[in-house]
Amino acid sequence: MSSDLFSINVSALNAAQIGLTTTENNIANANTAGYNREQAVQAATPGQNSGSGYLGTGVAVSTVQRVYDQFLSGQVTQQTGQSAQLNTYYSQIQQINNMLASSTTGVQPALQSFFNAVNAVANSPESMPARQTMISTAQSLSTTFQSLSQQLTSINTSVNGQIQTSVSSINGYAQQIAALNQSIVLAQSSSGGQPPNALLDQRDQLVTELNQQIGATVVKQGDGSYNVSVGSGQVLVSGNTAYSLSAVQSTSNPSQLNVAVGTAGGTLIPLQQSSIQGGALGGLLAFRSQTLVQTQDMLGLVATGVAGTFNQQNALGQDLNGNMASSTNSFFTDPVPVVNTNSANTGTASVTATITNYSKLTGSDYSLSYDGTNYTLTRLSDNTVTTSATLPVTVDGVSINLASGTPNAGDSFLIQPTINGATNISVAVTNPALIAAAAPVMANAPTTNTGAAAISAGAVDSTYTAATVTPAVTLTYNSAANTLTGFPSVPVTVTNNGVATVFAAGAPVTYTTGATISFGGASFTITGTPANGDTFTIAQNTSATTDNRNALLLAALQTQNTMQGGTSSYVGVYSQLVDQVGNQTSNLQVTSTAQTTLLNSTIASQQSVSGVNLDEEAANLLRYQQAYQAAGKAMQIASTLFDTLLSIGK
Amino acid sequence: MRISTSTLFNANVAQLNTLESNMLQTQQQVSTGKSILTPADNPGGAAQALQVTQTDATNTQYLSNISMAQGTQTLASGVLQNFNTLLQSVQTSVLSAGNTGMSDANRQSVATTLQSDLSQLTAMANSQDASGNYMFSGFKGSTQPFVNTSTGVQYMGDDGQRSIQVSPNSQSASSSSGADIFMRIKNGNGTFVTQATATNTGTGVASQGSVINQALVNGDSYQVNFTSATTYDLTDTTTAATVSTGNAYVSGQAISVGGMQINISGAPASGDTFTIAPSTNVSVFQTISNFITTLNTPTTGNPAATAQLTAGIQSTISGLNNAMSSIGTANAALGSSLDGLAALTSSDNNLHVQYQQTLAGLQSVNMTQAISNLTQEQTILTAAQKSFVSVENLSLFNYIQ
Repeated sequence: MSSDLFSINVSALNAAQIGLTTTENNIANANTAGYNREQAVQAATPGQNSGSGYLGTGVAVSTVQRVYDQFLSGQVTQQTGQSAQLNTYYSQIQQINNMLASSTTGVQPALQSFFNAVNAVANSPESMPARQTMISTAQSLSTTFQSLSQQLTSINTSVNGQIQTSVSSINGYAQQIAALNQSIVLAQSSSGGQPPNALLDQRDQLVTELNQQIGATVVKQGDGSYNVSVGSGQVLVSGNTAYSLSAVQSTSNPSQLNVAVGTAGGTLIPLQQSSIQGGALGGLLAFRSQTLVQTQDMLGLVATGVAGTFNQQNALGQDLNGNMASSTNSFFTDPVPVVNTNSANTGTASVTATITNYSKLTGSDYSLSYDGTNYTLTRLSDNTVTTSATLPVTVDGVSINLASGTPNAGDSFLIQPTINGATNISVAVTNPALIAAAAPVMANAPTTNTGAAAISAGAVDSTYTAATVTPAVTLTYNSAANTLTGFPSVPVTVTNNGVATVFAAGAPVTYTTGATISFGGASFTITGTPANGDTFTIAQNTSATTDNRNALLLAALQTQNTMQGGTSSYVGVYSQLVDQVGNQTSNLQVTSTAQTTLLNSTIASQQSVSGVNLDEEAANLLRYQQAYQAAGKAMQIASTLFDTLLSIGK
Repeated sequence: MRISTSTLFNANVAQLNTLESNMLQTQQQVSTGKSILTPADNPGGAAQALQVTQTDATNTQYLSNISMAQGTQTLASGVLQNFNTLLQSVQTSVLSAGNTGMSDANRQSVATTLQSDLSQLTAMANSQDASGNYMFSGFKGSTQPFVNTSTGVQYMGDDGQRSIQVSPNSQSASSSSGADIFMRIKNGNGTFVTQATATNTGTGVASQGSVINQALVNGDSYQVNFTSATTYDLTDTTTAATVSTGNAYVSGQAISVGGMQINISGAPASGDTFTIAPSTNVSVFQTISNFITTLNTPTTGNPAATAQLTAGIQSTISGLNNAMSSIGTANAALGSSLDGLAALTSSDNNLHVQYQQTLAGLQSVNMTQAISNLTQEQTILTAAQKSFVSVENLSLFNYIQ
């Protein structure tokens, strides 16, 4: 009987001690990340049947278990991943947002200075200082574009670096989780099923940290180990085995790193980028594909538009030396699209792209693939597809040609028409005299004409060559037939109030006052009534130092809708970019703040179940202390009883 | 609901972070005066501000272009006014040469005066602007427009008229073609000119005439051919058709043909001819130098030469009138253009004010509102900090001995 007394008290003391130890452990780990508070679970030991009924035999601590809600923990993990993705995306896009913020430096002021200088040349085309200023401001504009593009390229490089860092972290976590899987299974089996709480907490914390890098799904196995998968189901950890991710160069775009997962056989399977959701990696990939490339493309579109349309107009003019600008003499360097051959191609095809119509450029990237019979061109912004059996094919102002070689089925190419526009823009002309301010043709009427008709100075379009007015064209008016003769042998188009009439080469042309007459790319207007025999001469423009007709057209490019199918000017496209980035940043700010709030409230819920409350632990200390004291006192009384028994024998 | 200790701390820290970052944002707005610090603050506003800034800046550029155009036009107008003033003095000299009592020597000295006037007029037409470009040579700004040659003053420029962009869709001329102003001046009465043949021996003088029926004017040339001192034939020299023959001649009586009417006065000799032809362009310089040649021809004792002098004075006067009219028209056009530019300047200045206001509305911060927000946020932050400290101190451990 006394042994029962003692053993019951001993069990009580043990239980109180275990309780105290557990409470002390909770207090010590109050600030440990991922710690779930532990509770000692006491159970009364089975009673013994004595003649007077079942007598209790004391208490035993059956287990120390963590207060753990799987559902809440899972929610915290998942929301941590989403929050990390949004925060990463937001902090990356803020770099671009800040880059576009300044209103005193940046594209718009540089563009304005340049066009102010073009206006100054239009006002004084003979002035060399004005021309030099135009070249200098063009160089500043180019530098502004290049510097912005350089910042974007650095961001891309940094994204690649962060992808690598993230991948290493993920691999580290994967290995640790696999190791813990093994330890936990071992610990559980060697202790007869007791949960190894510290190891379990550690593993759960690692899963949360893994989710900060990449969205991962965990499936608990029957033996207690976690199987972790990422992306669209690729296995990262399976029992004791950890597979690793690697950052590999994209086959379609060499400037980007993609994520691939290793398999049991040792091969690397590239992950579909859009399937990687959650975590910093998800944020980086979303940022790159939804914001960074678009920003580079649109900034490049502005630069490409400025350089291309300006060059085209400059080529229609004549410089101070009396020469027309040519393709080797352009003002800016001509923009060149980027074509990437997929490194997995097996064919020998080499594809090039040229821009044929700047107004139709969309700023999107394109993917060209060959299936053995047809080429399929996909516009990546909205997945519109054009199919063609042969190359060249022209879409959205870009002409894509097969330069050499032949493709095999399955080959593909990535075509980026505007992405390097801002990187490559530069001023090609150095001699101010080469700016084409004048028009190449001039129309005059001799003062001996007796009629009252006047001829406009004339304009040219892109089909004009000097051959049109070599030799000089002299038109003679015949009043009896009301015709003009003397055109060179090319068709002549007369446009009056929008209605065009074409006269065959060599035929006399009916005269209508005020109508626009064009031939061989040159056009002019005769207004008024000529007298019989009056003549008009159209010839190459010579000694035209103060002719500013082309300079006026160059200056007008600033406010014309030269881009996006005639709906937008240069600054219009740029302001669309600013609007897009601003909107995305502002949306991300709202959603990431909302997600953080949600995460915090979920954590608060989880903590309210599993978190340590120091006041509660202080109360527990008192409780177990009292229990210990009580048990100790009971022990003392039991000992006194025993002493009493012993002293009976004396 | 059970709260863990970490929640107490984390929730407060998160709140403090939010308050601090809001306060920083407001403080930056106050110190820069801008409500749009980055495009994310107001994406639509930031995009619109870019467009308005460009429109405002191009408006300012147009103001500068306008001022440039005003400069050159004012300069040209001054030259043309001086030109016409000198032409009036030339006209006085020309009229004076017709006074009876003028000897050949007197007329020669008038010719000398006219010669120096002609040089001055040519120099005026060759005026250059502040940049050294010739004002009246069209697009050939570095080529002197009016050059003396053996055949008189020739125009070496072209018909170009340099324009300056003064608004998004209109241009103003900043240079004129000298051909139009000084060279394309019709002689005679503007429609037709009468001419006495140089070999006439009589003293007949044909008047400049006028158009009496525009509908009948068909551009044909006619000839009055005196078959005797009192009769003449009328021939259409363009179609070689005879209009009438044997007409009786009376000095000063009207002669009409083809919708045109002239009169001949004086005593033509048999065989004398007079032509009536459509007007052609004769430069003002040519008109004056023709008359100088006439003045240098002695007339004493030569009645035919006197008749030619009289005819010469008439045709020179009408030529000078036509020139002054042409120059006056050009000057009037410059004047109205300058008026238009002045009006455009003031409306562009108003536009500038409007654009600035729009920009301010888009991107300037309401300072009073911002400062009041800042003060409020500071108060809230201070309260949050104080409450955090006082709550954090509460712990059961403080009471366990």
